[in-house]
Amino acid sequence: MEKILGKTQIDGWIAALSGYEILAPAVEDGIWAYKPVNGEVRLDHGNTTQPPKGLSFPQREVFFSFEQIKGEPPRLTQKLPDAPRRAVFGVRPCDGCGAVRMDKVFNDHVVDNYYQARRSNVAYVGLACNKPQGSNCFCLSVGGSPVSSEGMDVLMTDLGDRYFVAALTETGKALMAAGGKLFSEPAAADRKLLEQTHAEAVAHPQRAVNNLDTVPAKLKASFNSPLWEELARACIGCGVCTFLCPTCHCFDINDENTSASPLKGNRVRTWDNCQFPDFTMHTSGHNPRESLGSRLRQRVSHKFRYFPENFGMPQCTGCGRCITECSVGIDIVTVVNKVTEHAG
Amino acid sequence: MPDNIYLPELARITHIKEEIGGERAIKTFRVEPVDGGIFEHDCGQCAMLSVFGRGEMMISIASSPLIREYKQFSIMRVGRVSATFHELEVGDVVGIRGPYGNSFPVDDWRGKNLVFIGGGVGLAPIWPVITTAVAQRADFKNITVFYGARSPRDLMYKAELERLRGDADIQLSVDKAEEGWKEYCGFVPANVLDKKPSPNNTIAITCGPPIMIKFVIQNLQKLGFADEQIYTTIENKMKCGLGKCGRCNVGKDYVCTKGPVYSWAELKELPEEY
Repeated sequence: MEKILGKTQIDGWIAALSGYEILAPAVEDGIWAYKPVNGEVRLDHGNTTQPPKGLSFPQREVFFSFEQIKGEPPRLTQKLPDAPRRAVFGVRPCDGCGAVRMDKVFNDHVVDNYYQARRSNVAYVGLACNKPQGSNCFCLSVGGSPVSSEGMDVLMTDLGDRYFVAALTETGKALMAAGGKLFSEPAAADRKLLEQTHAEAVAHPQRAVNNLDTVPAKLKASFNSPLWEELARACIGCGVCTFLCPTCHCFDINDENTSASPLKGNRVRTWDNCQFPDFTMHTSGHNPRESLGSRLRQRVSHKFRYFPENFGMPQCTGCGRCITECSVGIDIVTVVNKVTEHAG
Repeated sequence: MPDNIYLPELARITHIKEEIGGERAIKTFRVEPVDGGIFEHDCGQCAMLSVFGRGEMMISIASSPLIREYKQFSIMRVGRVSATFHELEVGDVVGIRGPYGNSFPVDDWRGKNLVFIGGGVGLAPIWPVITTAVAQRADFKNITVFYGARSPRDLMYKAELERLRGDADIQLSVDKAEEGWKEYCGFVPANVLDKKPSPNNTIAITCGPPIMIKFVIQNLQKLGFADEQIYTTIENKMKCGLGKCGRCNVGKDYVCTKGPVYSWAELKELPEEY
């Protein structure tokens, strides 16, 4: 389904989406993130600081609560997600690709019922990038595109005073159908302008990871390279690179107690981070990734070697957030290129 | 696999045995399901044990899959959850989910000689294979168990090992000589080299401290064992057991799903991140 929607009609379309909570980019304390819409929708922003991954994989979630009265067996109460149906507007192609990679992780081997319960209620209404949204974009070099529809239910393209709107899934078709007569059929001129806009978007210069196909083998060859420690030396282990990454999925599970007697509490999942030293530390104190270099190598190798080996695609979508937000200037594009050049 | 992959079943502790005392005490626990059903497992698999209010820990299942009534775990007191476990009593209820990981290919080993080489608490993960092989004694040729610890006081499963004599050749060792000790004195890898098990139609299975495993493998190679004839089981920090939480990987493999059991032929190809 492909239609045209006048820019002034977007609020009307959103109003027609009953049964959905609508989210769109909004700024709070200087941080752009996907927030429930309150009033007018603004899509003319750069990419958000936070990707939308938290809608399916929240930073903290309760698996179940436990309660134990002395002398009795513990009582467990499941806390399955009761997430509303959500339509997320303005998602950029790198984050659509990110959702596809998160789905691979959480559905591989066994389905993660908590992730899936939320994810199945999230629809992405994407917005193509007519030009790179920031100076650190590099989606084209990692198999993506500024106009990619991967992971989207709907993809919109800005054609000046109107959007070209394409449904990619059944959910996407239903979303567009709800807008009814707000949409019109695209004319031949609209299609021509769409083609031209996409061609210009793809032609726009971007940063680049060099020779993606050769990266896994070169990272393997560079596993013991001294470059890792050198490139990681400035790292302060803050973890912002992974917390803002649209594909980083590592998590911790802990018990949070609310009462000591009788014992009450929750088993909780929280985001965790491969850049933290205790992420892999055994109880004995032994740590397979003890140094900064070994942890940077893990982050880069996971995205550019292990994930491609397991799922046939890089785990990096080229959004550039980890570069832009790193307070000490560690730059994943530079790191990959330097290490692979060094490998020859 | 249950619908809720993170929700443990409840299991009652029915038996506790103090194996070793001291700073890093080891206790063996038997747990039985509170409401009847519990998962089946294969030799070498692990389970996630919970003490509610303290958290979870991944522990090797130390009982044979042939035993259906209970599951056995030998746990060293090291961290937050294991220390709490050591304070539990018979009748207390814990959480259990699993089984996780691959298993020893025991069926492929029928008709072969088995040489087990364990050190310290590393006897527990290979104990299901030892006891399964002994229970199905006619299916296997010679069974040899090398087991060692720092001192006679640090040897676990002492009575159980004695009961295996007759069915298996039991070769015990301690690192340091002590009065009254009549068996081998020295490190486990040296005892293996000293007794020279034949690699002919033999599988060697080893588990123990990383440094012991390293020298055991070197010595087995000196004796003519091929990499494909040597098996071990490794550990890494784990949270989910399902290949999702991201921390137990060795290269592209999550130890909780692709491991913990590896032949040396497989393991030597992976980066040394364990």
